[in-house]
Amino acid sequence: MSKSRSSSLSTHAANLSSKTGANQSKFFKTFGDDIWKNKIEKVNAELFIMTYGVIVQQLCQDFNNDYMKINENLFSMGYNIGVRLIEDFLARTALPRCPNMIMTSEVITKVAFKVFLNITPVVDNWSSNKDTFSLILVENPLAEFVDLPHDAKKQLWYSNIICGVLKGALEMVQLDCDIGFVSDVLRGDASTEIRVKLNKILKDEIPLGED
Amino acid sequence: MPHQQRYNNGSMTNNEAIERQRQYEMFQESLPKVNKILFQMILNEIIPLSVRIENQLTQGNEFQNDTKLDTLGDSSFDKASDLDNITKLKDLSINAKANSETHLGNISSPDDVLIYKLSQSVDENENKYNNILKRIRDIGIKIGTKLVNLLIFTNNINLNFKEMDLLLIMKFICRDVWKHVFGKQIDNLKTNHRGTFYLTDLEYPLLQSFCIETNTIPSQLNEEFILNKESKLVEPFLELPVGIIKGVLLSLGYPLDEVICLATFIDKPKERIKNSFPKGISFHVQITKSFLPQQQKQ
Amino acid sequence: MIYSFWIFDKHCNCIFEREWTLGSNTNNPNALSSGTINSKQNDEIGKLLYGMIFSLNSITQKLSTSISDNQINNNIRSISTGKFRIHTMQTATGLWFILITDFKQQNYSQVLHYIYSHIYIKHVVHNFLSPYDFALNPKEQRGQGVKKINNRHFINTLEAFLQSMLN
Repeated sequence: MSKSRSSSLSTHAANLSSKTGANQSKFFKTFGDDIWKNKIEKVNAELFIMTYGVIVQQLCQDFNNDYMKINENLFSMGYNIGVRLIEDFLARTALPRCPNMIMTSEVITKVAFKVFLNITPVVDNWSSNKDTFSLILVENPLAEFVDLPHDAKKQLWYSNIICGVLKGALEMVQLDCDIGFVSDVLRGDASTEIRVKLNKILKDEIPLGED
Repeated sequence: MPHQQRYNNGSMTNNEAIERQRQYEMFQESLPKVNKILFQMILNEIIPLSVRIENQLTQGNEFQNDTKLDTLGDSSFDKASDLDNITKLKDLSINAKANSETHLGNISSPDDVLIYKLSQSVDENENKYNNILKRIRDIGIKIGTKLVNLLIFTNNINLNFKEMDLLLIMKFICRDVWKHVFGKQIDNLKTNHRGTFYLTDLEYPLLQSFCIETNTIPSQLNEEFILNKESKLVEPFLELPVGIIKGVLLSLGYPLDEVICLATFIDKPKERIKNSFPKGISFHVQITKSFLPQQQKQ
Repeated sequence: MIYSFWIFDKHCNCIFEREWTLGSNTNNPNALSSGTINSKQNDEIGKLLYGMIFSLNSITQKLSTSISDNQINNNIRSISTGKFRIHTMQTATGLWFILITDFKQQNYSQVLHYIYSHIYIKHVVHNFLSPYDFALNPKEQRGQGVKKINNRHFINTLEAFLQSMLN
């Protein structure tokens, strides 16, 4: 256990509380970049793209191009990864729960996406009550070099695993969200966009006899 | 055999080979990267995914109605490229709803439950068990096949596939393939020089965190019993590397039905166990067809 | 000197507990066998311990909202009595890691973080044979759970790590 690591952990939590807006955004950017650069073991992105492609291909084969089922299965695969990956993420970052969705969106894009996929999606299209936002994936390492057949273009959300991962991870920190793609460049859309909508903040359980 | 000489066909001097290997490694370094833990999780997730697929395929018609509804909803937003916010929100409600329903539906059993159930099904429903194992292997084969393309495409000048005999191909699997996918090389390669090879990996990386959860503290239980049960649980995970080996061989000219590849657990030295997976894996690879490419050439 | 170590999940369940027998000979290389792991006898104490931390934590959350609107990280870190210190760490996923020690050393937060990030993550989170949620059944929530971490790699690694701090 390195001393520097732990001391940086306790100070950054303190840092967070004093930062707002652009400052906070900058802080997370540096924070995420630093973790990616110094603390992450990496593999070739191409190998990753290829492996994910094989999984989608297998699903297409097994479900006979029933794209709804394929979307579901990619999502559920992601969910099961997300519920575990979040612990790894928190152990590495020691981040506390976020007090609002704005900070949540910052952590998702500048730290989580950075640390796992080495990309930083753009946050956009906030709802007026600030509980719903979009992640615009300018780059998408899952879908690089991918070309969908014509019938898949209308129905398949090729990268739906990402929505599942987010769903599982956010649920573990008590954020019950609806998450889904609304557009994808693979379908010929102008951008690749994931919509994240907070349904409710789940209540922490209270031990029996305390309520 | 020293690293730099591994695929040397004689036309290069040693120094040239070293230099080329160095350049290749630098080139590899410069390629885009993603998180290794995420990658390994996806590889392991292939096993519960394969169970879920089989469960759905054998469950038949229960899902039909839901599917129809979803398809209807989805085709309704075959939209133009304008990014009207209202349309988007409508789309979201459809997709996110589909996603949420999935999550509640019965394909959402957690991974560990599926894995324990899978190991029970060996006796209860052998057919289903074999289907699942075959699916995992098929995914491995696809990965292996594409991997060869990927490794050729990255243009490692030290690889010369045309001149590779079976032994060199096995060395290629032990070093390049394993290093690329699992981050380490195979520990040991043995052959009888007649088409049979034993590849030993004492610390197959994807299993190192795996350990059976028992109902009571393990020290109160029979150790052998636990270890046997644990091996049974983990067995399906071995089909993935088996598939990868077969896939690599397939794309280098050895058809699937002419290659036997079996994985078995082997003991590993006590001092190497240290709170990691207690068994090593031995891959037994055998080319069954009487002809072997290098013999044909001769 | 460490007396005991506890993990609670977000369902208020004790999912792991290790108690070292007080006053036993910890120089004994066989000290592993001293004390208990996941003992039924400690169920009640576990509930009381969690109840106390839960209550104190609710109070600090309330205090922090009245002082400033920023709730970040006002969790309990340690509680002291005349004889013990109770060191706690909560993760954003709602896990509590708790160490009960003597009065000598003030800060075990690094120790708790190490247990989470190196031992729990490796042997429970990345172990596909361990559940990610120890109570999927609603009957096992709110402190009514029964499932515990019973995998030998987790137990042995934790033992080896904490061994050096036993006295």
